[in-house]
Amino acid sequence: MKKRVLAGFFLSLSLVLSACSGGGTAPAEQGKSAEGQAKTELIVAAEQEPVGYDPHKVPAASSVRVYALIYDSLTKLDENMNIIPNLAEKWEIAPDGKTVTMFLQKGVKFHNGKDMTANDVKFSFERIMNPDTGSIAKSYFSSVEAIEVKDPTTVVFKLKNADASFVANTASAYASIVPAGSTDLTKEAIGTGPFKMEKSESGQYVLLKKNADYFNKELPKVESIKFQIMKDEAERLAAIRSGKVDISMVSADSAKLLEGKPGVQIKNYQSLEYSYLGMNVNKKPFDNPKVREAISYAVDRNQIIQTVWKGEATLTGPIAPALTNSALDPATYPTYKTDVEKAKQLLAEAGYPNGFETQIETAATYPDMVETAQVIQQQLKAIGINAKINQLEWGNYIDTWKSKDMNLMVGRNTSGVDADRSMRFFFSTTGSANVWNYSNPAYDELVQKALTTVDQAERKKLYDQAQSMLVADAPNLFLTSPKNYYAVRDNIDFTPSAAGEIYSLIKTSIK
Amino acid sequence: MGSYLIKRVASLIPILFGISVLIFTILHLVPGDPASIMLGTSATPEAIAALNKSMGLDQPLINQYLHWVTGILQGNFGVSVHTGEEILPQILKRFAITMQLTVFGVLIGWVLAIPFGILSAIRAHSKTDIVVRVFTLLGISVPNFAIGTLLLLGFSLYFNWFPPIDVVNFWDNPIEAFKVFILPATTMGIVVAAGVMRMTRSAFLETMDKDFIRTARAKGNSKWRIVMGHAFRNSSIPIVTIAGMQIGYLLGGSVIVEQLFSIPGLGQYILEGIYQRDYPVVQGGVLFVALVFVLVNLLIDLIYTWIDPRIKY
Repeated sequence: MKKRVLAGFFLSLSLVLSACSGGGTAPAEQGKSAEGQAKTELIVAAEQEPVGYDPHKVPAASSVRVYALIYDSLTKLDENMNIIPNLAEKWEIAPDGKTVTMFLQKGVKFHNGKDMTANDVKFSFERIMNPDTGSIAKSYFSSVEAIEVKDPTTVVFKLKNADASFVANTASAYASIVPAGSTDLTKEAIGTGPFKMEKSESGQYVLLKKNADYFNKELPKVESIKFQIMKDEAERLAAIRSGKVDISMVSADSAKLLEGKPGVQIKNYQSLEYSYLGMNVNKKPFDNPKVREAISYAVDRNQIIQTVWKGEATLTGPIAPALTNSALDPATYPTYKTDVEKAKQLLAEAGYPNGFETQIETAATYPDMVETAQVIQQQLKAIGINAKINQLEWGNYIDTWKSKDMNLMVGRNTSGVDADRSMRFFFSTTGSANVWNYSNPAYDELVQKALTTVDQAERKKLYDQAQSMLVADAPNLFLTSPKNYYAVRDNIDFTPSAAGEIYSLIKTSIK
Repeated sequence: MGSYLIKRVASLIPILFGISVLIFTILHLVPGDPASIMLGTSATPEAIAALNKSMGLDQPLINQYLHWVTGILQGNFGVSVHTGEEILPQILKRFAITMQLTVFGVLIGWVLAIPFGILSAIRAHSKTDIVVRVFTLLGISVPNFAIGTLLLLGFSLYFNWFPPIDVVNFWDNPIEAFKVFILPATTMGIVVAAGVMRMTRSAFLETMDKDFIRTARAKGNSKWRIVMGHAFRNSSIPIVTIAGMQIGYLLGGSVIVEQLFSIPGLGQYILEGIYQRDYPVVQGGVLFVALVFVLVNLLIDLIYTWIDPRIKY
């Protein structure tokens, strides 16, 4: 009797399962839909839900990945991080660097059928620069004095001072061109981009349909993209393995698990992010440059690469190495050699022969940050510095970051696409993200001069100097720049790069 | 009975008022504000201030509270500061999903728990009993995210099967809905089963020792009649109590299962609201869950009188 019940139970379970899988297709046929037609919809697993689609207001990565496909910016980056034309087919910079003229593509239409003209460009930039908008990109364009519409396809930006980062900044998705007169872009999204907003189901998915009138006739290559919200990594892994999704970002650990599994390829690229140990230069004992130097010698960055990132990261300076044109080779920094004896000696000279007690703040939300803090904690012990780790919830972490009152802090930054952001925004005396109270007039002068220098070779020299100065002064210890990983189904032609997922998605096709 | 009902419903007012004050205060005491969380560590102070102003968060707290409460009294839960969506329709939509998940989960749990719980009580210390007790111990001690992850990975690895990713309402397409909910509901069901099974076993053991069971046996009743006719009803009060509590908890707290299987339920909505400091969402959501919890408890109390006529209010 008992056996029969058990057998019945398993039989019904297997029936249920076969019913469940009956609707699906065998892995080999997943490229085709049930009717045998070629698959034209790309399903991308999204780990977070978008929080609105206003490109000027919402910086959340989950939103950017969607609205950057709906809107276009004046310029964009190619996979080698070069600035290439987008809505602007070309641009001219006056010899004094103070006037930038953008010539727009002709015949570009918004998704509602209206022509995109110079007026829309002027409106968009004025919206960004208006303090009431609260735009994240406002500081990118602080050098703009006036915007003039010359004719429907020519816009002239008059700058207060030469600004070598201006054109690079117009490539940002935060500087998307929106239709003139737009007021509430939170929900409604009408751009000129390769995809149109089709449907968004809160908590479930966002569906984008191809814009048949896209100005680049070759693109995009798929009919639709569905961003499927899947918050749990285990779920994303299971979904990519069984072919329910085509593309998913995965962690380095999961990438290792998936390697060599049938049907799935792992693709990676060097990210624009870097991790850091920040020091508050107003706080004792970190106000003493010798203490900061000592900490720099005590920290073994390579060990962080091995322990936290399992070898899948590279050393970094203040500019992430993915920005090959600007980043200085970390081998040139003397303090990157681990030397515990020297660190002890420096600490003794600074008046702390027995070390001291301190605290490292970090975000509990990100395991890599916590692990980095733990490795540093161990390494600092060797020179007598006893650090307590304080794991903060994300909101609390941001508050602590803003307070400018922490001792040590482990975090991660995005370098940005132009050296100006990595250098001035994060470390100049008035830089908005300089929460370390770092202030060095010589440094400020260097980065300001670099900003107004139009000659790229000269500019590079200035940034090289600034990078060395920053590493020597060490308001931050720049640690590692990790790789980003994608799991991609075999039949999907997708090549991610540091220029962004978006750029790669537009070019993606299904084999 | 009638006056009891009126009293119970009337007592909802101070309870909900207290909860509203509590959740509002606690939420606003938590460090971090929506604007700085949205903008992250690359925000300018002006951008944060402008965003907070546009969300009305620069107003004094008491004004914000009054504004919120007057809205609720008029049936207006406000809009999410992040997405600008109306909150009430979202809560109702997501509650419907959570409710389906809970109903599936509880059914699976009870179907497992009650027969096996009874079996293990009437065959105490037998092999069946040991198996059941090991199962309950595992069900109670293994966290549901582990069970869920094992189910998810196991099915995708060995059967290459993955539940459909878009949630379907039961009344729209029962078969699809069943496929969507089967894994998450089983995850919940195992945890539910463990608790109910334990309670069923102990309640039955206690009842089977009672004098009236001995009398029933002496009268020559069959074992089946003794268990189902005499013991079952008399053991059900504690079972119903724990089951009711579980329904209440599951409705509000199926967060982990929803997160794991990307089920856009109410728990996930509130959790996301907490991460983002989306005050109106969390306040509205918690208030709603509180209301449901209290109503479920009321319902359980009413079921008592039906099960055991000796209980009178």
